Amino acid sequence: MDILIVEDESRIAKRVERMTRDFFGNTLNSVSHINTLREALVFIENNALDLVLLDLNLNGEDGFDLLTVAVAESFQTIIISAYKDQAITAFEYGVLDFVPKPFSRDRLEQALHRVTSKEEAITDMVRFLAVKKRQRIQLISIEDLVYIRGAGAYTELFLADGSKELHDKSLEKLEQLLSNSFERIHKSYIVRMSEVKGIVVKSGSKYLAELKNGDFIPIGRTKYKALKAKWY
Amino acid sequence: MNLRSLPSLLLIGILLLSTSCGQAPEVFKEHQTVYQIGDNPTWAKKVLNDGNWERRMELIPEGEIFWSRTRIDILKAPEELRPYGLQIDAYGEYEIFWDGVMIGKNGNPGQEAELPPEGELWITYSIPTHLATEGEHVLALRLSNYYFPDHVGQYEIEIADYEDLLTDMLIKTSYMHVFAGAFLIVSIYFLFLFLNNRKEYPTLIFSVCCFFICGLVLIVFSKDYVSIHYSVHVIRLQILNSFLLGISFLIPYYFSMQFPYARRRLSLILYAVLLIFFWIISDHAFNYKTVGMVLSMLIFSFGIVTYGAYKHARGARLVLVTLLMSIVVFLASGFVVSLYTGLGLILLGMLYLLALNIKDQRLAYESSLVQSTRLRLELLKKNIQPHFLMNTLTSLIDWVEESPKKGVLFIEALAKEFDLFNQIEDQTLIPIAQEIALCRAHIEIMEYRKEINYCWEEEGIDIEQTIPPGTLHTLLENGITHSLPLEGNSIKFKLVYESNSDYKCYTFLTFATGVRQATSREEGTGLRYIKARLTESYQSKWDFVSEPTDHGWKSVIKIYS
Repeated sequence: MDILIVEDESRIAKRVERMTRDFFGNTLNSVSHINTLREALVFIENNALDLVLLDLNLNGEDGFDLLTVAVAESFQTIIISAYKDQAITAFEYGVLDFVPKPFSRDRLEQALHRVTSKEEAITDMVRFLAVKKRQRIQLISIEDLVYIRGAGAYTELFLADGSKELHDKSLEKLEQLLSNSFERIHKSYIVRMSEVKGIVVKSGSKYLAELKNGDFIPIGRTKYKALKAKWY
Repeated sequence: MNLRSLPSLLLIGILLLSTSCGQAPEVFKEHQTVYQIGDNPTWAKKVLNDGNWERRMELIPEGEIFWSRTRIDILKAPEELRPYGLQIDAYGEYEIFWDGVMIGKNGNPGQEAELPPEGELWITYSIPTHLATEGEHVLALRLSNYYFPDHVGQYEIEIADYEDLLTDMLIKTSYMHVFAGAFLIVSIYFLFLFLNNRKEYPTLIFSVCCFFICGLVLIVFSKDYVSIHYSVHVIRLQILNSFLLGISFLIPYYFSMQFPYARRRLSLILYAVLLIFFWIISDHAFNYKTVGMVLSMLIFSFGIVTYGAYKHARGARLVLVTLLMSIVVFLASGFVVSLYTGLGLILLGMLYLLALNIKDQRLAYESSLVQSTRLRLELLKKNIQPHFLMNTLTSLIDWVEESPKKGVLFIEALAKEFDLFNQIEDQTLIPIAQEIALCRAHIEIMEYRKEINYCWEEEGIDIEQTIPPGTLHTLLENGITHSLPLEGNSIKFKLVYESNSDYKCYTFLTFATGVRQATSREEGTGLRYIKARLTESYQSKWDFVSEPTDHGWKSVIKIYS
């Protein structure tokens, strides 16, 4: 596990680092601490990370730009902030958790726990997925998302207008962010349930979900039962 | 509510004045008056050949006695026991004969040089009923005009019911005194307003204008109950015209203050010269003087207010309407009526402008109160805004958990800063020492949070000085927030005070690296706070510069004396 802490309050950064080390123990590979936005952006660009713990207000600067960059990356982001009113925005952009200051060890560990657990998202507030384009970050509205296909470390987002976008996060990580209206129906697929028209059973116990746009996507054998129960 | 009652009082005054001018049909007809120098008791007789008498008399020197004869037709005989009265307005001391019968004596004709002045300029006598029959009569006067020998024969005669003559005069006089009284009250009221706020010169001018109008009316209408000898009449007219001179100057001056324009001073000087010219021309041409001054005043005021309306100055249009109305009244009615009605209307316009000014002042005052409250809240907010409070509490939790003893010291530092804020929160200026103590307490807190060595230095501080609360504290906050430590993990702040006869100057220096240009919202708020505080305490007599330097950042607050 490689972790970056972005925080300009030295004492708080040390606290976060200490608790993170305690929580992840041996599974931790590295913890870095950076206290300016600029350095953080450079660091994110050049290092492979699993988790970023981010304060949105660094040296009086607004960390919003850094937030959009961070959520487009493959790693998960947890916000640690003094401004509770930023929580909604943060969740809309797809952060794993929002830890308001001041925080206890328990509250931080609860957030860190989400990184490793398979639990579904704690809110259904996420409204955008940030996709990295050549020079910029494009925000894709969750409303436009039909289904997601895992492609190794990446995912492919299939949108309502028929287009396809690549996302740097893995299917597992997106599953952690997306709300209940999305379902993991296959080891490689997440679909918006309202887009499913019906289930088609093919020979050899192959199950396919027929989507409203005419696409068929496979349903995992193990997922079928749970899905059927939900569906009927 | 004195202001509200003024217009209605004026209106009543004007209405009463105009109704009192309504006249009953004339009961007499006056023929040409003729004159003869000399003294002969038979010249009083009704029947006399006065065909060779003079129609005009230029000059009768040395108080010589002369006679005048005026044929008068009585058109309607008086009712029984209701005698007619004869009202005469004539220069000189005289005896009055009606159809050869002496009906009155006003002074001592021919003896003016020896005896003290006696008699009145305006006087009313009753005509015995049996002498006032319908038909032709002769009014003969035996006069001398010692004091104004060149003012002979400008008589005004009025014949009407004796009682009516006296009461009409009194009624008119009392109405006009009510009118004058209203102006006096308004004048005193606005004088007090001015005394309470000595910068408001329009209030004073308005007050003086009202006083002059009051004076003018009193002088004009006191003649009916104060006996005035014809020898002092010129003095009365001079006083009257002096009031009018003042009014004629002050009204356009007032408008020029409310609706300023280019070359105001020059135009006012030229106008004053014109007025003084009218004032000093020919001693006895009082009517020309008065009309000249009033017309100039109307025209000049009209010009200024029209310009104001053209420039869309507030209230100019309404004032223009009142001026136009007064000009219309001036053109449409007699001079006396129009003078008071017109002045009343103009003063109403001026009052309206004053009311607008007072409203502006009240709004400005209210907004300054709001601003002060806002600044006070902003100062209080410094310690409860989430960035400060939550980060402090998070650090504090950590200190308490990891090193309880240090945690306690941290809490003490926090308590110190909170205590200082409590002491200063409702003040607009605090001793510089208190502000510095606040900065030091803040530094202590930030050391626990940031674990950076902050260093505070002072130079030339004069502890007698005061400063708006939170100013240096805000600069310090910005310095801490936007700076990264130098090598050796330290940031230095230095406060330098300099003063001379022109200004006092605080220079706040931050020695650090990575200080960036101020762009963010938070810092904008901080600088706005400082500027608003400086304005609150020093109005516009301050300068504030905040800029990067080689070593970090520099902020300079200059307060001019």
